[in-house]
Amino acid sequence: MMLVKVMFYILAAIALGSALYVAAAKNLVRSVFMFFVTLFALAGLYVLALADFVAVTQIVIYVGGILVLILFAFMLSGRETLEVLQQQKGKFISLSKLPAVLLALMFFVVMFVALRQVNINDADWVKTAVAEGNIMKPDTVLVESIGVNLMTRYLLPFEAISILLLFALVGAAHLSRKEPQA
Amino acid sequence: MSNYLIYFLVAAGLFAFAALFALFGVYAERKISAYIQDRLGPTETGKFGALQTFADILKMIQKELIIPSKADKWLFILAPVIIFVAVYMGFAAMPWGPGLVPSKVNIGLYYVFAIISIETLGILMAGWGSNNKYSILGAMRSAAQIISYEIPAGFAIISAVMIAQSLDLQVISTQQGVQSGETIKFFGFWDVTNIGGLLSWNIFRAPHLIVAFVIYFIASLAESNRAPFDIPEAESELVAGFHTEYSGLGFAFVFLAEYSMMFLVSMIGVILFLGAWNTPLPNMGALKLADWTTNIWWGIFWVAIKSLALVGVQMWIRWTLPRLRVDQLMNLCWKVLTPLAFACMLISGIWRLWLM
Repeated sequence: MMLVKVMFYILAAIALGSALYVAAAKNLVRSVFMFFVTLFALAGLYVLALADFVAVTQIVIYVGGILVLILFAFMLSGRETLEVLQQQKGKFISLSKLPAVLLALMFFVVMFVALRQVNINDADWVKTAVAEGNIMKPDTVLVESIGVNLMTRYLLPFEAISILLLFALVGAAHLSRKEPQA
Repeated sequence: MSNYLIYFLVAAGLFAFAALFALFGVYAERKISAYIQDRLGPTETGKFGALQTFADILKMIQKELIIPSKADKWLFILAPVIIFVAVYMGFAAMPWGPGLVPSKVNIGLYYVFAIISIETLGILMAGWGSNNKYSILGAMRSAAQIISYEIPAGFAIISAVMIAQSLDLQVISTQQGVQSGETIKFFGFWDVTNIGGLLSWNIFRAPHLIVAFVIYFIASLAESNRAPFDIPEAESELVAGFHTEYSGLGFAFVFLAEYSMMFLVSMIGVILFLGAWNTPLPNMGALKLADWTTNIWWGIFWVAIKSLALVGVQMWIRWTLPRLRVDQLMNLCWKVLTPLAFACMLISGIWRLWLM
């Protein structure tokens, strides 16, 4: 139990530190690569929460897909464009940052209040789940339960997402099609 | 506490294996290419030139690690490490024999698939960090190729998983031999549960998996950047592609990663389609060949032999076929392999429902 706690704090520290670097770094490409570290630490946290399938999916989709595509966009755009992007006005406090600060503060307040109201060590839904034996053990096969739930309880959202993805696919194919020479 | 000691020992052992395999692989590649091109290959160092790669690695370790002055230092140094670690971590979930697996993960296959995709990121990092136009062109070609070929490879894997009904590599392995807990049918009609051997491998349990295996094998060539899919490092166009600027240890790591990757993808192919650590010899009446040749030591032997054979085929293909052009490569992937892989997945579903 002790080791799990130590691992949690190490991973959380890595995730937070690298996320700060991503937000603060001037060098855009480096911050993209640092984002990879953040995602990896998050995947580690998922594993600690016994959600190994989610952890691996996170790596497949974010690292193998999205990060690589972001990097592609960077590499296609060339250094000059990037340098213009990087020369932002370097003031730490400015009026244009006000909405972001407000949003962050409000989000923080919501989180803080939620944390105060919920007694996390003694929550009702945790108690009922434990009483019903509806819990995950380290050797539970998560894939089966995900599959069954996707095909029964969450069928409608699942289908809605697939239609949305089909839209995106058709749209992308249409955008990249060569127009016939009129 | 001794548990952790064993973990470290296993990790070190896997690293030693990867390094030794790379040494052996380079030597084998040079000898095979020499044979195919009617040359002799290395002959001077040691008997039949067997010590040539040891000499090479000694030279490489002594060499200076040159960092180009305009390169992004951190990315440049870290990239080869990430490329290698990505492949090396994949070995953690690979079963070597009955009950012998470094890490028993019940989504092992998915994990390996995810880990391999990290290699792309390392290659892009190397390409960008070098600040060299050849490197970046090579890195982009490599990433485009790997992302595209992950799709047919993924669906070929899924069609095998649908037959096996598990993502645990050890479960998939056990199913394909005499130790299987369920009935195995050769081509869907002949019960071979107690006969085992060659007949109970996945490619014979459901014959369309032969097609899936070929798709997977072609895609795995592309994923490990091997000829005929080696446009990322096309020597005649891009000097050496994404690792143009690397020297000394950095280059050694890139090389180590390439050869470990060859072995890893071959091993995944063997586990999913060619019976993993199960013996090819069937039980014949009183001659219980399959029972005699199924245990941990035979398991290691069979899985190594089968994977090495696939690596041999990879080398054979590399020195036989010319390089594909970019458009041919994408045509092959999207217009041939992907639809075929989809068809395999569909047949797998029908097979599972009606014939098993």
